[in-house]
Amino acid sequence: MQEPLISVKNLSKHFVSYKKNPGVMGSFTSFFKRNPVTKEAVKDFTFDVQKGEIIGLLGPNGAGKTTLMKMFTGIIVPSSGELKILGSNPWERDKNFRKKIALVMGQKSQLWWDIPAMDSFLLLQKYYEVSDQDFNHRIEKMGELLGVTELLHIHVRKLSLGERMKMELMASLLHNPEVIFLDEPTIGLDLVAQDNIREFIKDYHRKNNCAIIITSHYMQDVQALCDRLILIFDGKKGYDGTLDNFENILGNEKVVSFTFSQAIQEGKEDRLFNNYKPRWSEDRTQVELRVCEEELRELSSTIIKDLPVTDFATDKMPIERVMKELMNNPELLNAQ
Amino acid sequence: MPSELNANIQKWWITIKVSWVKHTAYRLNFFLQIIGPSLVFFFVKYNLWSSIYAGDSALTIKGFSFQQMITYHMWAFIVALVAQGHGSWNLSDDIRMGRISSYLIYPFNFWEFHTASWLSFQAIQIGIASFTLFSVSFLGFLNLPSLEVMGVGIAYTLFISLFWFTMQYFTGVLAFWLEETWILRVMLNIITYFLSGAIIPLDLYPQWLVNVLNYTPFPYLTYYPIKIFMGQGSHLTQGLFIILGWTLVFAYINHRIWKKGIRLYTAAGM
Repeated sequence: MQEPLISVKNLSKHFVSYKKNPGVMGSFTSFFKRNPVTKEAVKDFTFDVQKGEIIGLLGPNGAGKTTLMKMFTGIIVPSSGELKILGSNPWERDKNFRKKIALVMGQKSQLWWDIPAMDSFLLLQKYYEVSDQDFNHRIEKMGELLGVTELLHIHVRKLSLGERMKMELMASLLHNPEVIFLDEPTIGLDLVAQDNIREFIKDYHRKNNCAIIITSHYMQDVQALCDRLILIFDGKKGYDGTLDNFENILGNEKVVSFTFSQAIQEGKEDRLFNNYKPRWSEDRTQVELRVCEEELRELSSTIIKDLPVTDFATDKMPIERVMKELMNNPELLNAQ
Repeated sequence: MPSELNANIQKWWITIKVSWVKHTAYRLNFFLQIIGPSLVFFFVKYNLWSSIYAGDSALTIKGFSFQQMITYHMWAFIVALVAQGHGSWNLSDDIRMGRISSYLIYPFNFWEFHTASWLSFQAIQIGIASFTLFSVSFLGFLNLPSLEVMGVGIAYTLFISLFWFTMQYFTGVLAFWLEETWILRVMLNIITYFLSGAIIPLDLYPQWLVNVLNYTPFPYLTYYPIKIFMGQGSHLTQGLFIILGWTLVFAYINHRIWKKGIRLYTAAGM
């Protein structure tokens, strides 16, 4: 088996902060006696990433996704455990290691605000020692794909969020990195811009076969880009596997929706729906049920026979629903 | 390796150039930066000393006539422009706001970036200082010294600016521990103003205090460089060694602080 690009073994990180009681008295007492509080941000994390993989790192806010990203890129030092990326310890921040990775932060600009993006790109060209020929070629190609060629000479602070994000992506890919970390790259963007950026990342990955780790709150990002998902809950790894398996994590249930020509009275025919976690529309002309594959046929035909059904559709369990269910009941993961 | 050296020089040079673009990005700001200190100089110091001398052209205070006092302060202004213009707000803000994350990822170090920015800032300050110097001498407010004296004075002042930078860098990297470093910088600036002779020439201080101060970097920051420009240079070698010593001390402390700070760094707000 190929040597993994990223190898993480029992990685942990804890932060120490100081507790302060509210008010002036609290400030005064904490001035003399500090109460340290240790927060375990990442606990005992283990996984490998191979060349060419795109991995979605998902979890609720504060679960430890960004802490992991910071450790991967060498911004913070792990408290314990082993971490090797491209054969280096990230936190030693060897310059050769830094030339091979890239980080895009959706919530934080890495471009300089007061100058046009092109000036930042020229700076990065020298930092990463990219030849003029490669630089010009990549700027032209990426600018075209993202539709921002006209904006390269405008001050970054005058760009819209979507335009700026595209520039951030360009900046991080100028040096053709082998491993790319994308921390919520589509956050706050409209649907068109989100789609544009996803397509761009997909295209870039296909052409360069780099490894990508992406964190996002948008399931569309994950569905469009990732082969493999890693879930993180409260600093611990909850799930690590393919997207298909993830969708089946709550059993082989399907989502079935029925539309009726008239409202179905509450109480009437409840026996048909109650076992399948029904979600009714407000006017009670539509219902969504969660049905396991074995019962699907029989139940559907009964409903169609007994009630005025005008439309009917089945779908896989959307991963948003799976995620939400798991966030509310993390113990479901252990039951697997 | 020459190619590696060449690549490094290019990294420094592009950083300097981009810093110029950043410094001059806001035209009004840049303009105010140039005329701001001049206004302070002309209105505050000129008025202060002219009221002290009360128009008495024969009066001398510790050997300074009114004209000499104004000359002293014109040179103080020039020296401050070149040697003490640099602040470390950007640096401590970068740490406090979690912006150093970017520098930790780029293959160009944080200290290299800030030193290159400082060099670029220095070039602008030297430009402003030269413009001011030639304007005031052209208008007849100041007699320029010989080329030799000017050369020694400029070299000395540039050397001091390096010390000033390492000291500012020190107050900047303390941001790893302190939430706000501006109060520290303001205190340091005020102490420097008083102890370096930027407000009152050291000749007006008690001799024992001047003797003590001569072991600190302060008098070499303003007072002695002014004396060089005024053709009364003294303590030149002693000053060089003292400043060199303090520069090395601060550079070493900065290095240690960075090493320790970066392990504590949590990249908050990233």
